[in-house]
Amino acid sequence: MNRFDLLNKIQNILKDNLVICNIGLPSQELYQINDQPNFFYMLGSMGLSSSIGLGLSLSQNKDVISIDGDGSILMNMNTLATIGNRAPSNYTLLIIDNGSYGSTGDQRTFTDENTSLKDVAIGAGCKNVVECSGDETANEISKAIDDKDNSYVIISKINSGNVKIDPIPLNPITIRDRFRKYIGIVKYL
Amino acid sequence: MKISKKIIDNLKLGGVDFYLSVPCKLLANMIDILENDNDVYYSAVPREEEGMGICAGAYLGNKFPCIMMQNTGIGNSVNAIVSLLQLYQMPVVFLISYRGTPGELVGAQGGMAKITEDILKTLRIPMLHCSSENDLEKISTFSKHAKVVESPVAILCDFNLMKDDT
Repeated sequence: MNRFDLLNKIQNILKDNLVICNIGLPSQELYQINDQPNFFYMLGSMGLSSSIGLGLSLSQNKDVISIDGDGSILMNMNTLATIGNRAPSNYTLLIIDNGSYGSTGDQRTFTDENTSLKDVAIGAGCKNVVECSGDETANEISKAIDDKDNSYVIISKINSGNVKIDPIPLNPITIRDRFRKYIGIVKYL
Repeated sequence: MKISKKIIDNLKLGGVDFYLSVPCKLLANMIDILENDNDVYYSAVPREEEGMGICAGAYLGNKFPCIMMQNTGIGNSVNAIVSLLQLYQMPVVFLISYRGTPGELVGAQGGMAKITEDILKTLRIPMLHCSSENDLEKISTFSKHAKVVESPVAILCDFNLMKDDT
């Protein structure tokens, strides 16, 4: 199972929640599979999906899922310490760990060598750290969303590989405003 | 404590209700004030770039965020400022302890001090430079300005303004 297959399998859970989606192919694939106004696509700032989702979950009560990648987590690893100490119960971090920098040509990351993001997350103080296969991921996200008392870090171990896909045609202000309209902040759209 | 209290009072007057910091000794009193303030959210954060991301999320969730940091933190955050906060036009207040300005005791802070304002100018970030107590009254209006122009703004607090605020 690659990232596109995984996003296809979990789209029905994602569509009812606030989703922050990682830059590059993850966002482009999610957009093509099932675009929703409650999906915030990152067009820049690699590494910050987990952080944007954390700030969002601290600021309002709806459930938030940050979709991140192994390469992006390796770039902003201090985020796991912040999550381990500050994440509220409406926060779920989904790390799609395919052991490669997918958007830049599938170069190997350190999770394909010696690094375990599960061990790093636990060491950083994260509670409810789950490592699972692609097939188990939908179920694990559902459990995390249904648990109203705890935050979760889910590391979904899948294969590398991409599908051919176009850039997202939305401009950033459209992404921002339809997302804030869904939450109930923007009234004028 | 008087200066620090005035800064926080003016930020709150400007509507800022979500605070992060990467600590600096010049920010220590403000951090103390915020840790004991139940009206606003406050947390430390390990790195400024990560803080920019958390601020972006807080803005999406209808908070008005501020990140407090040394001017060195701007250097750590340039891509996040440009390709997140500015790309999506998100108002965030940067409250910056301006290390390396006159009065500074650590020579190594001088390097980032020399280029801090040039970086902010290059990024087209509006600046409020506070060098005396009278300047602090401008902070509330300046913070509101961030929301009006949907942009990050930077407040620079000189070393000599903060150093005796015990």
